[in-house]
Amino acid sequence: MVQNPPPNVQRIVPALAYDDAPAAIEFLCRAFGFEEAMRMPMPDGQIGHAELVLHGNTLMLASSFREAVGIGGPRELPYLHASVSVFVDDVDAHYARAKAEGAAIIQPPTDEFWGDRIYRAEDIEGQRWMFQQHIRDVSEEEMAAALAAMSAEGS
Amino acid sequence: MGLPLAPDTQRIIPALSYDDASTAIEFLCRAFGFAESSRLEMPDGTIGHAELTLHGNTIMLASAYPEGGLGGPRGLPHLHSFVTVYVDDVDAHYARAVAAGAEISEELADQFYGDRVYRALDPEGHRWSFHERIREVSEAEMQAAIDEGGG
Repeated sequence: MVQNPPPNVQRIVPALAYDDAPAAIEFLCRAFGFEEAMRMPMPDGQIGHAELVLHGNTLMLASSFREAVGIGGPRELPYLHASVSVFVDDVDAHYARAKAEGAAIIQPPTDEFWGDRIYRAEDIEGQRWMFQQHIRDVSEEEMAAALAAMSAEGS
Repeated sequence: MGLPLAPDTQRIIPALSYDDASTAIEFLCRAFGFAESSRLEMPDGTIGHAELTLHGNTIMLASAYPEGGLGGPRGLPHLHSFVTVYVDDVDAHYARAVAAGAEISEELADQFYGDRVYRALDPEGHRWSFHERIREVSEAEMQAAIDEGGG
């Protein structure tokens, strides 16, 4: 019986492009704790498809194919259109490792009003990541009140 | 300190930016079968955070946020990521998406790696790849197909 989705692949999977996919794989494993599960090199050395696993979930990535499919690493883009959110078991330990391995930290670990402790970082090609740990259950009413208070402060 | 997550909790989640997030939510639900599970509206009417679910998994999305360097992909020369979704019946999913006006970028076809796949763009140009695994293919068989130019 065919397994759909395949083992270790959640239903909805982000797929990222990198100009130097082998270097990105090395970095994502070393800094963010991923493990390489699959790598499909093309005859020209580019990576057609690779899968990395963390906590039993998959991230897909591939080399940039700007001309063939219009997808490439984000370095020269004026802004990004997406990011990846990852729930880890210990966000402070994850942060310490990422920082020590040279990840660019956008926001250090912070307790957010919606009940998660999070930090934001960029990887070596500028793909953007948010790592989070759920530390507190927050009701929708409480969340709406927090948003209202924030906007009153901001205006 | 942390609260435990259920064992089957999705850990890795795509988060997408849209210039018109409300319209995007309506489209993603109508064309791709998502269900809206949460929406946090900001006082200025933009969406600070929303979650849509399909088959028990989540995507996050939000309105463009130029101060944070995030916006819809229409103004960009190329995309830097896309979203892969494993559905139960990719033919039915395709029919629904086409009927709802999704722009098909790659027609439904069986791929050498064992998935039946189609690709589509949503109204703001985010790319989606919808899959159903229909056949087990070994990594060696896959690599052979790539080396023969099948990839």
